[in-house]
Amino acid sequence: MINAVLVFNNAGQPRLTKFYTQLETSVQQRLISEIFALVSHRPTGSCNFLPLPPLLASSGTSSSSSPHEHNDIPSLVTYRHYATLYFIIISTATESPLALIDLIQVYVEALDRLFENVCELDLIFNFETLHACLAEIIVGGVVVETQLERVVEGVKSQGRVAKRPVNESRGVALGGMGGNFGWAGR
Amino acid sequence: MASSGGGFLSRGSSGNNANMRGLVQFIADLRNARARELEEKRINKELANIRQKFKDGNLSGYHKKKYVCKLLYIYILGWNVDFGHLEAVNLISANKYSEKQIGYLAMTLFLHEQHELLHLVVNSIRKDLTDHNELFNCLALHAIANVGGREMGEALSGEVHRLLISPTSKAFVKKKAALTLLRLYRKHPDIVQPQWAERIISLMDDADMGVALSVTSLVMALAQDQPDQYKGSYVKAASRMKRILVDGEYAQDYLYYKVPCPWIQVKLLRLLQYYPPSDDLHVRELIRESLQKILNLALEMPKNVQQNNAQNAVLFEAINLIIHLDTEQALMKQISHRLGKFIQSRETNVRYLGLEAMTHLAARAETLDPIKQHQTIIIGSLKDRDISVRRKGLDLLYSMCDQTNAQPIVGELLQYLQNADFAIREEMVLKIAILTEKYATDIQWYVDISLRLIAMAGDHVSDEVWHRVIQIVTNNEELQVYAAQNILQYVKADHCHETLVKIGGYILGEFGHLIAEDKGCSPIEQFLALQGKLQGCSSGTRAIILSCFIKFVNLFPEIKSRLMFVFRAYSHTLDSELQQRACEYLALASLPTDDLLRTVCDEMPPFPERQSALLSRLHQKHANTSDKRTWVVGGKDANANEKDFSLAKNPGLKRAFSNANGTTTNGSNGTVHGTATNGTNGHAKVANDLDGLDMTDAGPSEPKTLKAPNLASAAHLSPGWEVGFNRLMLKGEGILYEDGQIQVGVRSEYRGQAACVVLYTSNKAPATITSFTTTMDLDPAEKDNLSYEVRDLPDSSIDPGAQAQQMIMFEAKKVFDKSPTMRISYLAGALQAVTIKLPVMIHKFMDPAELSADDFFKRWKQIGGAPREAQRIFGVKGGKGGDYEFNDSFIRKTVEGFRWGILDGVDPNKKNFVGASVLHTSEGGKFGCLLRLEPNYTTQMIRLTLRATDESVPPVLIKMMEDRLAVGVSTLPEVFEAPTRRDISDAFSNVLVT
Repeated sequence: MINAVLVFNNAGQPRLTKFYTQLETSVQQRLISEIFALVSHRPTGSCNFLPLPPLLASSGTSSSSSPHEHNDIPSLVTYRHYATLYFIIISTATESPLALIDLIQVYVEALDRLFENVCELDLIFNFETLHACLAEIIVGGVVVETQLERVVEGVKSQGRVAKRPVNESRGVALGGMGGNFGWAGR
Repeated sequence: MASSGGGFLSRGSSGNNANMRGLVQFIADLRNARARELEEKRINKELANIRQKFKDGNLSGYHKKKYVCKLLYIYILGWNVDFGHLEAVNLISANKYSEKQIGYLAMTLFLHEQHELLHLVVNSIRKDLTDHNELFNCLALHAIANVGGREMGEALSGEVHRLLISPTSKAFVKKKAALTLLRLYRKHPDIVQPQWAERIISLMDDADMGVALSVTSLVMALAQDQPDQYKGSYVKAASRMKRILVDGEYAQDYLYYKVPCPWIQVKLLRLLQYYPPSDDLHVRELIRESLQKILNLALEMPKNVQQNNAQNAVLFEAINLIIHLDTEQALMKQISHRLGKFIQSRETNVRYLGLEAMTHLAARAETLDPIKQHQTIIIGSLKDRDISVRRKGLDLLYSMCDQTNAQPIVGELLQYLQNADFAIREEMVLKIAILTEKYATDIQWYVDISLRLIAMAGDHVSDEVWHRVIQIVTNNEELQVYAAQNILQYVKADHCHETLVKIGGYILGEFGHLIAEDKGCSPIEQFLALQGKLQGCSSGTRAIILSCFIKFVNLFPEIKSRLMFVFRAYSHTLDSELQQRACEYLALASLPTDDLLRTVCDEMPPFPERQSALLSRLHQKHANTSDKRTWVVGGKDANANEKDFSLAKNPGLKRAFSNANGTTTNGSNGTVHGTATNGTNGHAKVANDLDGLDMTDAGPSEPKTLKAPNLASAAHLSPGWEVGFNRLMLKGEGILYEDGQIQVGVRSEYRGQAACVVLYTSNKAPATITSFTTTMDLDPAEKDNLSYEVRDLPDSSIDPGAQAQQMIMFEAKKVFDKSPTMRISYLAGALQAVTIKLPVMIHKFMDPAELSADDFFKRWKQIGGAPREAQRIFGVKGGKGGDYEFNDSFIRKTVEGFRWGILDGVDPNKKNFVGASVLHTSEGGKFGCLLRLEPNYTTQMIRLTLRATDESVPPVLIKMMEDRLAVGVSTLPEVFEAPTRRDISDAFSNVLVT
């Protein structure tokens, strides 16, 4: 199953954090920063998969595992880098890694449709749409829909694809987003 | 700053003030904060504000939503917002969708499954599940799928299931319901009731790909735990696969960069790996066809990176399935060739996955030769620029190792270890240690490598590794001298890792006397080497050295004085543990006689056999997952115990081995690896030890005790099956079953021991029926007597008035008694299913024979009486004078129906019947069968005698014939009965308005 979907920018600031196995806020934050450290140091062209370091894996489950439950211990990090953003899926080893890469692609394409040329600012100001879109693709850690049109329709049918007025200069779209933020503000 | 005014005007969703400017302003403020402290200040101010607003109460829905949104944003930035949880959760009972949505979003982000606030929302969620607004259903389902635990499952699983199976549910609700049910099942398996299985499996045929995908995910989880109950999913997956790939049956919009819905393909391929390869030739053919198609498609040059990706995702899963099937030689050959190319690919992802697939192959394949061809490239992958690839290379090298290539591989690994990434060193050390131990063919090599390994990677050596070295040396006499010599050289060196000092302390203490005569190994030299290390070591190591020295006192009395000096020095040390030790040793060595000393320092007994701690440590590192892996890294040995990985056998079994006592020797492994050091039991046992692969918790924690009911079996025959069955008992074709919705016709042909039965199912209902499924079943006791092969699967949907057909071939191997049964299920709104018995009986495999009177009596006598004779005397059912009777034509018809050749004029009594026939079976051969039937029409009794050349035949035949004959024929002339009032009203019930 998919344990978490994370999106953060080149500075490591989280734009979306969705955990399908519940964790403490502090553990989540630690996980995010550790994964960022792992991913951001990889040169472009490296493969998109990383085994989750065991230390991280064990900390990731410490808080929620009880003897009765199935252990959904994550062991694979699949990521993709688009312009200023990293999209990351943490999953168990039983997911097909390439399919996860495709999944990220579908998610990004869906966001692009929803926001018409999506950029990082859209994600910041419309985080609930971000979540709604993710909910159309993944339910409870399992892929539910992969067809772009349907995902987009699903979100639109909920009637809130409104772009909030973004009260500052718009960044360039994800395709080639430069983003000149002074102190890379939130 | 330039605002995108156009966007503001054109994209505003609902005109009114729904845009929450306050929120936008807040976010913008945070973004404009130039330093972290400013941001913190702004957040704290906002939190205070929100707290106050919540306290004041009386907020409108809109304002509540706005504040909860702010809290969400603050939460996403990593702050704790506990105080707002209650307000947030209250939003879910709002009537407005937008407010409800934020409420649910907050609930799924803030709360976890044990959160006490969840008790409060169960009723609101139930209300939304039953709401007519599907969007509300979806929100509720999504919430359960995120935070649902046991309690919520018990309260709501019924509703979720209803949404999943209800014919009126929309596809987008169904698919979410499927995954919600999956979540609840994972939390508490009892929530999914056994009787749901058939209905859930039938949804895999859903025309909507999204539904099919989610249901397949659900089925995958269920099938892992209850393979029997969900075995119908195997055929479903195989046929769906084939329909997508070969028949091109998918909605066009599901083409993802020219690949038809890769996700569902991947899921289906994976589901197929959870079952052992099917015995059914037709199903195998379906799978083979699909796999070949995937391999062919993958040869096409992809147009772009996305297509390439999707294609490979399917391809690699197909490769995994081929490896799992392990029977498809032709496919296997193709993939091992391709894998060789993959691991040299320029694409990093492909190299990575290629190595992983090869590791899978190594885990399963009979021979490692196809992999060994690529050994140089694989070793080269240890130097890949990507760490992920390097790790996979390591896994593969570990898996492909055997006695022939162990030395070069271990050599390479050792070399690589020196500049390996920090993160994988410990794992590497473990793997090298295991390989060295497992494939050691000469003692020197084992000792050399182990000690070198520890010398090189000292800090990454876990305790298990050096413990294991000592255990092996102790238990194998021929290693001891060599080990002692070598460790002494290491300890003598100026720089020596502490772990080596520990081993040195132990080994020299035990075996130092064996080398005391050698040059450079005299007692005093041994002593000096160890003493030199005392200062720089931790207290644990010092303790080991002290223990070594007391052993020296016993072994080498000539250096006793120097040893005593050390003890005395340490009896004043500050470390209390060392001090006590030194004092005790001092006392022990100072006793007047050395009897006690000798007893204490007696040679250590061999270590008891136990599970290799190395392996358990290694496997500890392998995370276990919700979906079971179908294999583990580590070659065929590690995967030898299939029941861990395949669901074929006992699914509740959690571990492969009981390690309670390591005394049972595993034959094959013991001998293979035991050759290493003949004459000692050490190595054989070591190999056995290594088997102690501990896959703890590979399965669900609670074993399923519930036995899955086999709905296709004779125990579950549907009412009304007998009419058609009896009708077809003596006929080759006709209607086997009929109800309001379907009609099942049969046509059959028998030739010798072979039979071909074709079933025609027509849809009588006015609507299309879908997910039409047939499942054959045969009593397990009959499996050796009657074999069948399903030639094709019927179409899964049948239009009104249309027909689906299915051909089944039977072969009578021996005499069988019970007829096969078939479960027919389909969706017509709800799930409908019937189980019927197929009219395949032993007498159908008989051919009438002609015999002259002489021949008949000669053979009759030859066969003789019991046990090759069976006789029954019986009367008509209902007795004489009832509505039924025997008469000449009835008997003749029945006997002929049972495929006897009636020999007229053979029996002196004209009223008697005499018959002969030949029964064909493939394994039992042909049986001659003879019959004599003596009717007494006045008493309405029959005496039936059967003789056959084999004793298995008469009892079966006579029972069937008696049952059939005893029914008799009606004495009443057929009268036309006028329809009753009730018949009329039934017939017109759908037109009449009453």
